[in-house]
Amino acid sequence: MGVLITPTMIGQVVISGLLAGSLYALVALGLGLIFGVMRVLNVAHGPLMMLGAYTTFWLFHWWGFNPYLSLLITMPLLFLVGVVLQHFLVRRVVDAPELSSLLLTFGVSIALVNLAQLAFTSDLRSVEFLTGSFIAGPYALSKPRLAACAFAVAITIGAFVFLRSTRLGKAVRAVSQSREVAQVCGIDVQRIHLLAFGIGSALAAAGGTLVAVMVAIQPEMGQVYTFKSFLVIVLGGAGNYPGALLGGLLLGLVEQLASLFLTTQVNEAVAYVLLVLVLLIRPTGLLKGRV
Amino acid sequence: MTTRCLKRAVSAALAGVVLVSLPLPAPAQTPIRIGASLSVTGTYAKPGTQQKEGYDVCVDELNAKGGLLGRKVEFVVYDDQSMPATAVKLYEKLITEDKVDAVMGPYSSAVSEAVANVTEKYKKVMVAPLAATTSIFKKGRKYIFMVISPAEVYLEGLVDMAAKRGLKTVAIINEDTLFPKASAAGTAEAAKKRGLQVVLQESYPKGNTDFSALLVKIKALNPDVIAAGTYFDDAVAITRQMKELNVNPKMFGLTVGGDLPEFHDLLKQNAEYVYGSTQWDDALPYPGAKDFLTAFTRKFKHEPSYHAAAGYAGCLIYAEAVKRAGSLDADKVREQLLKLETKTAFGDYKVDADGFQVAHKMVMLQWQDGKRVVVWPDDLASGKPRYPTPEWNKR
Repeated sequence: MGVLITPTMIGQVVISGLLAGSLYALVALGLGLIFGVMRVLNVAHGPLMMLGAYTTFWLFHWWGFNPYLSLLITMPLLFLVGVVLQHFLVRRVVDAPELSSLLLTFGVSIALVNLAQLAFTSDLRSVEFLTGSFIAGPYALSKPRLAACAFAVAITIGAFVFLRSTRLGKAVRAVSQSREVAQVCGIDVQRIHLLAFGIGSALAAAGGTLVAVMVAIQPEMGQVYTFKSFLVIVLGGAGNYPGALLGGLLLGLVEQLASLFLTTQVNEAVAYVLLVLVLLIRPTGLLKGRV
Repeated sequence: MTTRCLKRAVSAALAGVVLVSLPLPAPAQTPIRIGASLSVTGTYAKPGTQQKEGYDVCVDELNAKGGLLGRKVEFVVYDDQSMPATAVKLYEKLITEDKVDAVMGPYSSAVSEAVANVTEKYKKVMVAPLAATTSIFKKGRKYIFMVISPAEVYLEGLVDMAAKRGLKTVAIINEDTLFPKASAAGTAEAAKKRGLQVVLQESYPKGNTDFSALLVKIKALNPDVIAAGTYFDDAVAITRQMKELNVNPKMFGLTVGGDLPEFHDLLKQNAEYVYGSTQWDDALPYPGAKDFLTAFTRKFKHEPSYHAAAGYAGCLIYAEAVKRAGSLDADKVREQLLKLETKTAFGDYKVDADGFQVAHKMVMLQWQDGKRVVVWPDDLASGKPRYPTPEWNKR
């Protein structure tokens, strides 16, 4: 049953891994941002992504709305959902022990998934918009995954530019470095918290939109991305935003290469072994936990 | 005076007795109560509800024909929320508190496996119409009976069609859970028996969404046939990625997923040529299938799935055994169920000494122009398979 692995196969798998990884990076960046600014682990991150995916689906289903254009709706919409969640719920646990925020967001996560099951049923839905692939020599570039990667990279770069270069973005980074000092400098910390949760949710929504064009969606689709995002931010360095990009790409590559050289069955296990190794050897993540 | 009074009183009383007894034919008897828990809510809500509706149609039919052993039949059904542990409690309650006369099986292998311990403990015969896992019936249990075909034979038809066309190689993939694993193992065995070489056999974790690396390996091996032990979301994802990576086997068959209308709804033209396997299809020429279809759609205003048909047939099979035994006694009914050979609206029924189904046949469907066409076995087929499957860019 041996398969002779050729360089072409490795190339194809590396492409797939990087395409998948860019999406992991996008979603994880949202989780990392919320964690960096508030030290809140948002377990509801995946379900927020699921809401983004459903928004895209319904827009497409009812009005034939271009799923990629729907980013202009899903991201602001989920930004608002994030702000509301932050204002009414998460705000109360920002300074509480970490278990409180875990419990709270876990509750929110269960509520969102079950509401989605009630509202949308657990039927699989899909956005048949882009299928097939471009053929480049011996390589096949999946159209929906390539598009997802392009948008993910663009949005990730946009988020970096915002964090690096704008006044508001600098304020966000200031708060994640030291809340007290930021406050002393006149930054409205509560407002930054709202902003961070909003942007984090919007990034999750963008991930959801892009995934909806790639695979069939259902209310429980998000959980797996919550876990992958945790993995990515720990790999990359919690609180380090470029680290999320590195961690995401790395996870995508490792999963695919493990499937190729070992079996698909173990790809998740290999990813978690990698996590353990990183925690043992470089507990701060691959890039230091610096903003 | 007193005599007349007495006479009048007696005749009035007699008249009363006559009046009261008139609307009741035969001596008044309590109905036979059959208990079951079904997954009306939760993960299995859809198939669970279909199964319940199948039971309902069966009861209507039995009662219209005068009931069972001269008694009316009624179901006592609780919702197990798709959870085996809940179902176990419900069967305990049905048997010990509600004291039902008989039980029927719940939905799914997992729940059937759990409640079988209860029904065995109280020596209750349980026809389990929606349990497809072989091991449930191979643990020395005495009172449980199987109706549908086991997981292992789901892709028997695909292998048979491939072997008849002289195909040589097959790649088998499956989700790493109980049912798909069993179907993959059965397929591999059938393939070897028919002289096909299994060039790859690999499982993937539940919830996997990226099959690139797996498909790249398969593409390099270029097998004639790809057989996949799937549920539904994985079936859709694999089909899509096969197109993306331009993987072109001559035949591509799925266990679960490929048979559902939603498969085509989701994939549209990309579902064409894909083979799916199913326990039952409403177009199959089984005795009573038409009547069942009519009764079912009239009562519920939607089409029955195979879960409904299996539930309906399972209930009729139990009733037939009771009729032949002339009693509800578990051991007598068991004896009849072991001997019984029959053909229902769901197909053939015959079990071995363990209550394990040996006669029921799976059928293979193929998506042709947006319709599910039965292409195997030949005697039940309503169309010819479109073979070979053209390359993706020529569909």
